[in-house]
Amino acid sequence: MAVALITGAADELGLAVARRLASEGHLVALSDLPRRERLETLHKLAAKLGGPGAALVVPADVADPEDVARMVAEVEERAGEPIGILVTVAGYLATAPFLRHDPDDWWRVVDTNLGGVFACAQAVLPGMAERGGGRMIFIASEWGVTGRAGATACSAAEAGIIAMAKSLGRELGQLGIAVNAIAPGVVDTSRLEADAREAGVTREVIRTRHAARVPLGRIAAPEEIAAAVAFLADPRMISMVGQVLHINGGTTRARG
Amino acid sequence: MDDIAGARVAVVTGAASGIGAATVTELSQRGWTTVGLDLRPSTGAHHAVTLDVSDPAQVRAAICRIERELGPVEAAVCAAGHYAIVPLADIGWTEWLRMLRVHLGGLLNVCRAVVPGMVARGHGTIIGFTSDLAVGGSDGDVHYSAAKGTVIGLVRALAAELAPSGVRVNAIAPGPTDTPLLAPDSPWRRPSYVRMLPAGRLVSPEEVALSVAYLVEEGTFCVGEVLSPNSGSVI
Repeated sequence: MAVALITGAADELGLAVARRLASEGHLVALSDLPRRERLETLHKLAAKLGGPGAALVVPADVADPEDVARMVAEVEERAGEPIGILVTVAGYLATAPFLRHDPDDWWRVVDTNLGGVFACAQAVLPGMAERGGGRMIFIASEWGVTGRAGATACSAAEAGIIAMAKSLGRELGQLGIAVNAIAPGVVDTSRLEADAREAGVTREVIRTRHAARVPLGRIAAPEEIAAAVAFLADPRMISMVGQVLHINGGTTRARG
Repeated sequence: MDDIAGARVAVVTGAASGIGAATVTELSQRGWTTVGLDLRPSTGAHHAVTLDVSDPAQVRAAICRIERELGPVEAAVCAAGHYAIVPLADIGWTEWLRMLRVHLGGLLNVCRAVVPGMVARGHGTIIGFTSDLAVGGSDGDVHYSAAKGTVIGLVRALAAELAPSGVRVNAIAPGPTDTPLLAPDSPWRRPSYVRMLPAGRLVSPEEVALSVAYLVEEGTFCVGEVLSPNSGSVI
């Protein structure tokens, strides 16, 4: 089994991924921003997963490459071996009509979401190559495939993540490192709370609104995205390389 | 292999060899009752029916009998197929029709037979087999690529049509896989080609079977999706 680094692990999606990979016997390193409530969430999960030795908590800001390098070095030192599985969930979500989106904030979206994946991939690669292979799984978004009005920064970043998974897949496949992306549709996480507050309705109403445009008639559970991660992380699966898994209940149907 | 009483039933076409055979092995290990449909006996499956998937009557009769004797078909995996590299000018009309009737017809016939029951029960899953050659295209593959391309169209449309009923339809587009479908002298086996693949090797039938198992058991939010275990042949 391997050491699995999960960024954005304090989000419900990250938590589901961590639980799933831990259940498959991997040592999970849980990362998120060094903020008190997030760290509490990570420590709580780590304790539930069996405490020290079964899970590590390694806070970092993925938008800061130096912090990412420090985090990866810390994981490798504490685990005593290189990272074998990287799952990038971390992301900063900000939307605004194109001309009203503050340029600094626009770039913060791109530099956190796409730049964060770049920094993580770059930092784990030497160790992953040294151990003779591994898996990089980038969680992108449906918006990177279909685009979305008012979400130019997010869509650009997510599409960039998808393109990077394709190129890195080509570049690293021969090293036994399989790089793939997952583009989920709407997932039932606390992000919906923010949407709900903004729209002045309940989370249930937001759920129903999103579900109305999904052929399957509902939104995704975090565990369904975690299952796709587990599929791509399976040590027996080498032939999935540079691909995008669209886990969206049928909204795009093999568009790209 | 022992049949497990009460286990869910999976029908796999093309189960006598290659990807279909690996699929019945994987699903059987996961506790499914497997039924192989093939021109030849599917020796690895719990039950085998020899038939031609391009014949709607044979497929309908087989599914009727399976559902009567074993219970409802919960998963249908349509892996039956054949392959030939032929330049356009040399493709005979008979070969063209055969390619379409086996790949598109094989999927269509199974769908027409299993969908009514699945819709009535409100669940079930169907997996069609397309190919990296449908997504990427390739020299000398006109009739195969065209036939496999139609599978994607059928899967996309049927996925949209059946999702509200709780029935999921998806596809797998394997790359060059180490099965009897690839002749020993196939260009897809040449070391110079295999070296060029990002994964550096052919796809194994077991990897494709794992992809099937994922879509059947855990891909519960996958609808109209095409999974591409292809060693990076088409990215």
